[in-house]
Amino acid sequence: MHFFIILRVALKALLRNKMRTSLTMLGMIIGVTAVIAMVALGTGAQLQIEEQVQAAGTNLISVRAGNFRRGGVSMGLGGAPTLKASDVDAIRAQVPGAVYLAASVNTRDQVIAGGQNWSAQIEGTDIEYPMIRLWDLEYGAFFTQAHVRSAAKVAVLGTIVRDNLFGEGVDPVGQRVRIRNQSFEIIGVMESKGSGQFGQDQDDIILAPYTTVQKKLRGRNGTNISGISISAVSPDRMEEISAQITDVLREQHGLIPGDDDDFMVRTQEDIASMLTGMTETMTGLLAAIAGVSLLVGGIGIMNIMLVSVTERTREIGLRMAVGAKGRDVLFQFLVEAVVLSLAGGLVGVAFGFVISQVLTQFLQWPTAVPVDAVGVAVAFAAATGIFFGFYPARKAAQLDPIESLRFE
Amino acid sequence: MGDVQVHALRGVDLSIKTGEFVAVIGPSGSGKSTFMHILGCLDRPSAGHYILDGQDVSTLSRDELAIVRNQRIGFVFQGFNLLSRTSALDNVELPLLYQNGVRTAERHTRATQMLETVGLGDRMNHHPNQLSGGQQQRVAIARSLINRPAIVLADEPTGNLDSRTSIEIMDIFQRLNHDNGITVILITHEPEIAEYASRIIRFKDGRVVTDRLNDAQRVAEYELESTPKHSDLSDQDPMDFSRPIADHK
Repeated sequence: MHFFIILRVALKALLRNKMRTSLTMLGMIIGVTAVIAMVALGTGAQLQIEEQVQAAGTNLISVRAGNFRRGGVSMGLGGAPTLKASDVDAIRAQVPGAVYLAASVNTRDQVIAGGQNWSAQIEGTDIEYPMIRLWDLEYGAFFTQAHVRSAAKVAVLGTIVRDNLFGEGVDPVGQRVRIRNQSFEIIGVMESKGSGQFGQDQDDIILAPYTTVQKKLRGRNGTNISGISISAVSPDRMEEISAQITDVLREQHGLIPGDDDDFMVRTQEDIASMLTGMTETMTGLLAAIAGVSLLVGGIGIMNIMLVSVTERTREIGLRMAVGAKGRDVLFQFLVEAVVLSLAGGLVGVAFGFVISQVLTQFLQWPTAVPVDAVGVAVAFAAATGIFFGFYPARKAAQLDPIESLRFE
Repeated sequence: MGDVQVHALRGVDLSIKTGEFVAVIGPSGSGKSTFMHILGCLDRPSAGHYILDGQDVSTLSRDELAIVRNQRIGFVFQGFNLLSRTSALDNVELPLLYQNGVRTAERHTRATQMLETVGLGDRMNHHPNQLSGGQQQRVAIARSLINRPAIVLADEPTGNLDSRTSIEIMDIFQRLNHDNGITVILITHEPEIAEYASRIIRFKDGRVVTDRLNDAQRVAEYELESTPKHSDLSDQDPMDFSRPIADHK
């Protein structure tokens, strides 16, 4: 029997019961739609992260204070005052691969200008910050070594802060803002950079000399810094440079071999792989949950095929009487099952695609439907059909023609 | 507990020649169904031989038997056994689907021809539920002939039909046998239906009790002339037997 004829016979049988056929397909459709939509979401998130990592610069190393235990209690990242400005100088002196360095001290405070006020992340940093972050200014200039040394009350605004305090696109250079009742002079505005790896808005920020933040805004632990941003000479030497930085800091902090680091060195790549790892796990989990509905769809197909074999026992007997071999009957029912699952799979792919487009259009969630995921989903749908269709088909093929013809 | 072996047939020694019209008759449990299953290659004898067309088919495998059924045997059943929601044409074509090398166009031509021979040329696209019992049985007969079989096996073909329609069906069998030389084996429990055959074999308890030529063979064609037609059948085409049904030599 030619495959084409088998296919035609299967299609005719399926079309004879349109309602049942479409309901059975629905199981597969829902399963594949869910899988495709989930994978599209996960892939979209990953692509976005990769983009942001590229934008942030692949040669970025960040050191954070913390990971410090006191009496068995972990203080957490940044929770322990372990980094000092002198650590920055030590790295600068001993690690030639670390090109640009900037100490950082963060706080969050209310910023007031004129009648407006805004709560912003205030990042105390150093003069090399724009080079490390590859970030230019829209207006004015960045602060200088003199500003840092004198802990001058100068500020460079992110565009979001500027927009909220002075209005969109305005050049506020020369004007003043009040933070903690102290007047800061605005000397520049950064270019807009968009959202960061964790979804935070990078433009919602005020930059000031770290010394200023230490002394004028935080008012405690005057010499501690919460982190160091470092730009390495080349993205290829990240590991080597990270190791050197670690060695320098351990020596600075007087740690003996066996002690835990009281700081954390992370390259941009580490952060990226951690983030993509997280989304991958998430995607895998969601796809697995969606995959369960594929399984349920497969069981639905098996159920219907079993009913169909019983219902059509006489038909099977007749086909055998007029010359169908066991193999012909097996293939007929198997092809029916595979047509069901494959058609369901294809419709599911289309629906999954539409749903991910809708998510992007209306919720602005980044999505991307990877071609291999479509292939895998369709192949999996077909495999489901074969797997769950085989038992009913074999049952049909093993029927005895005499018994089947007598079946009522 | 073990399976008890029941011998449905014992000591049956028969030969049926090409072109015969044989009726197999007997009460239920007489073994005539088993006999028919063996003749139809649906079942194999546990002992003994069945030579069909010079070939011993009693030792063939399941698949080999399927091929024999497909190419040399035509079946007509009591319950018609047509595929529901499937046109008469598709029903008639069915055996050819399991034969390699028959093209779609040829299948259509042959099926159309067969339906025309049984007088259903104008009902080819009707589904079984749009046809009367007699018409359905004619579709089944057309189906049994499409593979140009050596024998047509009819198992109680009139069991579900009224007497007038039964005669019409027997008329078709008689014409097939007489005009086209097709071997017809008719299984029935009704003695009056068996009378249309030229040879009557009677089974009882798995044995052949009588095997005689039928001197008083009824002729359906004459009986139909003297029997009033059903009003619901009056719109049927007259049967067209002008063309040969199968190329039998």
